[in-house]
Amino acid sequence: REEKQLELTLEALISQVADLKNSLVSFIYKLENEYDRLTWPSVLDSFALLSGQLNTLNKVLKHEKTPLLRNQVIIPLVLSPDRDEEIMRQTEGRVPVFSHEVVPDHLRTKPDPEVEEQEKQLITDAARISPDVAQKQIQSLNKMCSNLLEKISKEERESESGGLRQNKQTFNPADTNALVAAVAFGKGLSNRRPPGSGGSVQSGQPGAGGIIAGASGMQQVPMSGAPAQQQPMMAGVQMAQAGQPGK
Amino acid sequence: LVSGVRGPPPSPFVLRARRSMDKSGMPWHLRYLGQPEIGDKNRHALVRNCVDIATSDNLTDFLVEMGFRMDHEFVAKGHVFRKGIMKIVVYKIFRILMPGNTESIEPLSLSYLVELNVVAPAGQDVVSDDMRNFAEQLKPLVHLEKIDPKRLM
Repeated sequence: REEKQLELTLEALISQVADLKNSLVSFIYKLENEYDRLTWPSVLDSFALLSGQLNTLNKVLKHEKTPLLRNQVIIPLVLSPDRDEEIMRQTEGRVPVFSHEVVPDHLRTKPDPEVEEQEKQLITDAARISPDVAQKQIQSLNKMCSNLLEKISKEERESESGGLRQNKQTFNPADTNALVAAVAFGKGLSNRRPPGSGGSVQSGQPGAGGIIAGASGMQQVPMSGAPAQQQPMMAGVQMAQAGQPGK
Repeated sequence: LVSGVRGPPPSPFVLRARRSMDKSGMPWHLRYLGQPEIGDKNRHALVRNCVDIATSDNLTDFLVEMGFRMDHEFVAKGHVFRKGIMKIVVYKIFRILMPGNTESIEPLSLSYLVELNVVAPAGQDVVSDDMRNFAEQLKPLVHLEKIDPKRLM
């Protein structure tokens, strides 16, 4: 069962990585070929796409059904200096040979030396300062972030209310109400007959609303001649209600 | 084409009959809509009991024989979109100037009505949350909200 989980996870990871690769490819193409016509929003779009995909990748990794990949080890089983057609096909011609020089590069788990250096430095820095100084720093960082967020949201709100007025109103509430009334009970349509003795439409069956609530909601019965037959209403509704269509 | 037929007094019972105007040979669609369920503020969508029937062409004669009188009719032209069980209908309502003549029509207003409806088995209130989420996604182009027809009486 765990193997199955592992397989599924691997498949998900592969598909995510493939998506990421595709978007990277298109982004690079865009940068290389259309650099004179490129606008910042379009670049921003590409970045957003990449970040979204990285996000989903992370989510897949954090998913509860993912086995601990840390516990798994990848070992190259066969190393050969000959060209391998299978690998060529899978990596689109970039890795022709699964040999001793390629493997350490692709299967490495240690970060780059520069990154390692930086990490080590950060760790020593963090260990050096005392805990309450660290706490104060954390608090000030949080405060600054929240201040910034507030400023941004305020800006957005103010500009939105100013900008939307210029934009076309996409809906007209008066029209909406008129249209809904027309659909629901024919208000405003030319050949409407006055309600007469029936009074208002909805007041005819005061008890019906509560009781019918238990009945089945959808019955699609394709009948050819007699649509007003008894609809089998379940949940113990009085048959009096069901008899009304036939009245 | 939609026409609402009213029942004989004193029970104003409304049945809605509908037929397709661009496709001939399709069955008529008869629908009964009950009172809106009182779910107060919890539910984001209007819930009504609904009975749907597909019928043949002699529906209007049949209803007249049964004692129903036609109450109102209109022509709706637009588009239907579907997402799973959610149906979004965007249509413009046209008034029929001469009863029975569907060629002489005029629009009721310049706007289209956007309606999101779902037909689901009874008791599934979670559907209204899905509808609400979908409606949120359509903002700010379209503002979909729960509208109670009774309020507009």
